[in-house]
Amino acid sequence: MNKYILKFPQDIVENPILSETILETGVLMNILRAKVDYNEGTVVVSIAGDEETQKKVVELLKKKGVDVSRLKKSVVNDEERCISCGACIAVCPAGAISLNQDKEIIIERDRCHRCGVCVEACPRRSLSIQQLE
Amino acid sequence: MKTIEEKNEKIRKGEAVVVRADEMPDIYEENPQKAAEEIDVVTTGTFGMMCSSGAFLNFGHSDPPIKMTRVWLNDVEAYTGIAAVDAYIGAAQLSEDKGFEYGGGHVIEDLVAGREVELRAEAYGTDCYPRKKADTNITLNDVNQAMLFNPRNAYQRYNAATNSSDTILKTYMGTLLGNKRNINFAGTGEINPLSNDPEYRTIGFGTRIFLGGARGYITGEGTQHNPKTGFGNVSVKGNLKKMSDEYLKGGTVPGYGTSLFVGIGVPIPILDEDMAKRTAIRNSDIHVKVLDYGVQRRDRPLVKEVTYEELFSGKVEVDGRTIRSSPLSSMKISEKIMDELKGWIEDKKFFLTAPLESLPKDTAVKVMKPRRDVPFVEDVMTKKVITAKSTDSLAKVSEHIINYGIDQVPILDKDGKLEGIVTAWDLTKALATNKKKLEDIMTKSVITSRKGEYIDAVARRLGKHQINSTPVVDGEGVVIGIVTSSDINKVLQMR
Repeated sequence: MNKYILKFPQDIVENPILSETILETGVLMNILRAKVDYNEGTVVVSIAGDEETQKKVVELLKKKGVDVSRLKKSVVNDEERCISCGACIAVCPAGAISLNQDKEIIIERDRCHRCGVCVEACPRRSLSIQQLE
Repeated sequence: MKTIEEKNEKIRKGEAVVVRADEMPDIYEENPQKAAEEIDVVTTGTFGMMCSSGAFLNFGHSDPPIKMTRVWLNDVEAYTGIAAVDAYIGAAQLSEDKGFEYGGGHVIEDLVAGREVELRAEAYGTDCYPRKKADTNITLNDVNQAMLFNPRNAYQRYNAATNSSDTILKTYMGTLLGNKRNINFAGTGEINPLSNDPEYRTIGFGTRIFLGGARGYITGEGTQHNPKTGFGNVSVKGNLKKMSDEYLKGGTVPGYGTSLFVGIGVPIPILDEDMAKRTAIRNSDIHVKVLDYGVQRRDRPLVKEVTYEELFSGKVEVDGRTIRSSPLSSMKISEKIMDELKGWIEDKKFFLTAPLESLPKDTAVKVMKPRRDVPFVEDVMTKKVITAKSTDSLAKVSEHIINYGIDQVPILDKDGKLEGIVTAWDLTKALATNKKKLEDIMTKSVITSRKGEYIDAVARRLGKHQINSTPVVDGEGVVIGIVTSSDINKVLQMR
């Protein structure tokens, strides 16, 4: 399973592309975030299965005109600024943030939904969500 | 009973036995008498955002001299109504251009870190102080005295917070998701200074402590000191120039303001078995109330009473549901403070003091008395509400709006429970997009209020969601009234 950002250009934003892709490939997708504007749609999904399966889905989405890019980094913590207070832990709806044995903040990047609640809640402003290049 | 002098003699000889507050419970449990006999000092620590912190600075006289009437440091105003070039920079004061992102706490961190800070001052000019404006950059080295003086720090314990309302709240207890999905708590539990000496036998006026990475002193009880309910706190003072930015950090409380993370460590001398027992306190012994911050009143409803042990576990059971909990104080740095203070004592760099006077044990906290009673929602709401059913036609709802001169109509189900709301704007939009059914155009997630809420809380809610009215519902969701912004404005203008 991996996460991807899908960008839907204006001309295809009204097509049921995700549903078509799921039906045609039989591969499950989970929509984590979605933002649909008047001229563009951006959706974050996790695609189930191994690399080969994911590739099949990505190829099909690209064929349908979607701009697909793999999400490698999620929330990033600037450890120079972070003091491990914990204000980001319980607000995380995905339960992706916790304290380790040394009482330091750790983020399980696979679980992160990129919702940004932790970024907002951080008193030290040490968290940020990496945007795509 | 042993004396402080005997303890200091052992420190001088390098023979003092010092342990951390989190090590003491096991030591005591194994053999209470031996613990009292062998342990000399227990170190405690806390590192959290502590409002009611700040620093007195003396900038030195310029030529020609100035008697400042207003002064800003990096655009954060400091209070200068003390003397010509003295000012107090408070941690909670917001920057004029960066708002919540930078405040007095950040200025203090910048100064302690050795960074340059812009000083801007205004004055009316006098015969002896003719200058009317000053503009310069300063560092901590440039000022004469820099005293961290915090009127209220290191609360013994504090309430924990959750939020039963249906929207996310940004409070001084951090960000609280709606529908009780997280619990935030403050304080460091069993390693907190006052929790290890709740009778104030060794902590009092003049107690030497670890403050911001340097030696500091307790100057007495803090403001709102409330020992009877276990909410004691202290005021502290120290030389900012000696402190370290590792233990003083500016912080933003999102949606609330700015503050300062303050590092405090208090050494507790083990004078006898009673003190050994006190310092053996565990997280499971300290009770904390989880309060509902979804109710915007001074006295918030109790959700559950828990212990620090449960809170630190990260999971609290409430009504059969597991809610994630997390601290707002850094345990990592609090523990480092205990170690650092322990090291100072072992290295003969820090000696204990007996309090000159004990902290008061009987003060109570008073509340602010408003000049006029603040009204509740039920005092201002319209009880006869014009409503409709979701099966009604758009024309019927439009008629209501025109006939009664209202802007919105709540939509109820057959039991009188709120299903949605339709505004004049929704109807206009329906016309433009050719929609025919109320169901398709009404807003289904409606911002509601309760009759027992203060109108100030409702006024804030209307502003936050940019709406003009809110239906008032009872516990079952039945509409019992409606409050509009003009209802509230009428009352607020009278104040």
